[in-house]
Amino acid sequence: MSGDGQDDALRAAGIQAHLDDVSVKLSRTATWSGLETKASYGPEDVAETDYARDLGDPGEYPYTRGAYSQMYRSRMWTLRNIVGYGSPEDTREGIENALKMGTAGINVVIDTLSQEAIDPDHPILSADAGQEGCSLPMVSDLEILLRGIDVTKTDIAWHSTMMTYPLVAAMATRQGKDLSQLQGSHMPDHLQLRLGGWSEAIVPAGLGHRTTVDCIEYSAKHSPRWALGCPQAYDIRERGMTAAGEIAIGMAIINQTFGDLIARGMHVDQVAPSMAWVSTSDIDFFEEIAKFRALRRVWARTMKERFGSVDPRSQRLRLACHTSGRSLVYQQPLNNLSRAAVQTLAALLGGVQSVETCTYDEPICIPTEEARELATRTQQILANEIGAARTADPLGGSYYVESLTNQVEAEALAMLAKIEAIGLIKAIEDGTIESLMDDYNYRHHKELETQQRIVVGVNKYMPKTSTLPKRFRFDPTRMTAHIERFKQRKAGRDAQALAQRIDALYRIARRRENSHQAMIDALVADATIGEVWGTVRCANDLPYDPFKAIESPFTYTKP
Amino acid sequence: MSQSPMPQSKIRCLLGMLGTDVHSKGIRTLAQLLRDRGVEVIYLGEHNTARGMINATIAEDADLVGLSFSTATYLHYTRDLMEQMRAAGLGDVPVMLGGLIHADDEPALREMGVRGIFGPGSTMDQIVAFLQSATGKTLPSGISASGA
Repeated sequence: MSGDGQDDALRAAGIQAHLDDVSVKLSRTATWSGLETKASYGPEDVAETDYARDLGDPGEYPYTRGAYSQMYRSRMWTLRNIVGYGSPEDTREGIENALKMGTAGINVVIDTLSQEAIDPDHPILSADAGQEGCSLPMVSDLEILLRGIDVTKTDIAWHSTMMTYPLVAAMATRQGKDLSQLQGSHMPDHLQLRLGGWSEAIVPAGLGHRTTVDCIEYSAKHSPRWALGCPQAYDIRERGMTAAGEIAIGMAIINQTFGDLIARGMHVDQVAPSMAWVSTSDIDFFEEIAKFRALRRVWARTMKERFGSVDPRSQRLRLACHTSGRSLVYQQPLNNLSRAAVQTLAALLGGVQSVETCTYDEPICIPTEEARELATRTQQILANEIGAARTADPLGGSYYVESLTNQVEAEALAMLAKIEAIGLIKAIEDGTIESLMDDYNYRHHKELETQQRIVVGVNKYMPKTSTLPKRFRFDPTRMTAHIERFKQRKAGRDAQALAQRIDALYRIARRRENSHQAMIDALVADATIGEVWGTVRCANDLPYDPFKAIESPFTYTKP
Repeated sequence: MSQSPMPQSKIRCLLGMLGTDVHSKGIRTLAQLLRDRGVEVIYLGEHNTARGMINATIAEDADLVGLSFSTATYLHYTRDLMEQMRAAGLGDVPVMLGGLIHADDEPALREMGVRGIFGPGSTMDQIVAFLQSATGKTLPSGISASGA
C-alpha cells in the first residue's frame, strides 16, 4: 500500500471514530434496573388498571397520583441543601452561607465518626473527626452549632441516625424547653446503617432495629411534632438495589418497625403521619417516576389494609428525595449537572415533597460553594422555566408510565414477600440482603464491561481532557481546637453525677427496656455520644469500642 | 528449553478498609471480580485497624494488600499502615489502593510505598496485570502474561 493510501485509511478511521464519538444511539431497551420495555404502550397494557382503585385523584387514596390534591400549587417542594463539615463553628458558618444562597431550612450532616457514635478523641480514628460532616460529640457542641436557634421553633433536618434525637432532646431539656414542642426531623432507621456498611461491628441488626423502635416510640410519645425520615431507603438503593428493590427493602423495614411498635401497644396512626420516606431519584427518568407512584400506592394499602390505619395522613406518603450520588461520575464532572437536572425533574414529576439536588462535584469532593449554587439554580430553572411545578402527576394516564408503575410495584411486592418469608432481621444477619446488593453491583459492573449499559465518560464517549474541579478545603484550625476543647470538657465534668447516669442507662439497656430517656439524661450530664452508645453496647454484651482500642471508663452495676 | 509446568500457588489478596469509611460497595464487587479471575481473596470488610490488617496479612500469608477509600482521610490511614507494615517486617508486601483517590495525591502515595493506585476509571485488566507483576505469580487463565 502506498504512503498516501495509508494516510487516507488512517484519516477515514479517524473520521469514523469521531462520528462514533458524537453519535447518539439507543443502547438499551431495559430500564436501568433491568425491567424490559416495549417499543410502545397502549390501552391493552393498562386494561387491568382501575382508576378509582389503583390511581385515585391526586390527594386521594391510594395516593398513586400524589399526596396532595393541589400538589405544588398548595405546597411547593422544599429545596434543601445539606451542610456539614469540621467543627460546630465551621458548620454554623456553612449553614449561614447556605441560607444566604437560598436553601429552605437548615439541613445538617454529621461527620463519619459521630455517625458511628464514636468520640473525636478516639486513639485510632481521630483523623476522621470533622470529615464529611460536622463533629457533634456532646450537647455542648450542639449548643455551639445552634447558638440562637430555637429547636422548638426552627425546623432542622438532620441527615443522621445514631444519637441524633437524644442529643437534640438533651439540649432542649438543658435549655428548659418543652420536648413536646420539639421541631425538626432525623432518620431513625438503624437497619439501613447495618446494610449501608456500618456492618455488624458498629450496628448489629438486632440491637440496631430495637434502637429504631425505641427511638420512634419515645419521640412519637414525647415529641409528636418531630418528623421521622423512615425508612432511609436512599442509602440502601445507592448501595446496590433496583427501583423495585428500594420499595421492597424499605417496606420490609416499615412492616417490621410497625409490627414491633404495635406489639408495644402503639397504633399506626400515632406514628405514620410523622414519617417521610427518604428516597433517591436515580438516572432512569421514567422508572423513577414509576417508582415514586408505585411506592405511594404500596404504602397507602399497607397502612390501611395491613395495619388498620384510619387516618388519611398515615396513608398519604410524603417523600423526601435526594438525587442519586451513585449515578454521578468522576470523569468529565460537568456532565453531572445534566444528570442531576433530569433526576430532579423525575422527582418533581413523581410528586416528592423535598429535593436535594446533588452537586456536580460530589464524586470528587465535598461540594464547593459554586457547585452548591448551581444545584440550587437547577431547581429554580425547573420551577420557573420548565413548568415542573404546574400540574399534579403530569404523566398520570400515560400508557407507558402506568404500565411501568404496575411493573415496578409487582416486582417490589414479589421481592418483599421473599424477604418476609425469611424474616427481615434474619435476612440481614445471614447476608441474604447484602447478597442481593452484591449481585446487583456485580451485574452492573459486568454490563458496563460488555457495554450492555453505557455511562457517558465511563465506558464510552470518553472526555478528551480531564480537568477536575477544585477540591473543597477547609482550615483545620478550628477542628483542632474543637478536639482540644472536647478533651477539656470531659476532664471538667462532675464525674460522680455522670457515672450515676451512665450506670442507670446501663441497667435499663441491660433489661432491654427503652433506653432513650436514660440516654437523654446522660447526655444532659455531659456524657459523650461515644460513652452513651458504648454503654448501650456493653449492656448488649458487645465491646465498648467496636475498634477495641478503648475500654469503658465506667463501672457498671449488673441489674 | 523444556519447562515442566511448575505447581504454582495462587495469588492471595487481602482486601479491607480502614477507619470509619462505610463505602464498601466497590471493594465487595472487586472481591467477586478478582475471585472470577482466580485470585484467592481474603475479605476483611470495613472498620479495620492497621494492626488488625497486619495480623490478617501474616495469618493469611497474603501476597498483597488492597485498600479502598471513599473518604478524604486516606493519606493519613495509608501512611500509618505503611509505617506499621514496615515495622512489622511486611515492607515488601505490595499495597494497592482504590476508590475515590484524587490524582493530585498519587505522588504522595507512591512516596509512602503504595505500588498500585486504582482510582475512578481503572479497569479490571489493569488491576489484574498489577496483581501478577507485583506478586510475580501468574493467574490460572485470562490475561496471563506468561502465555501458559
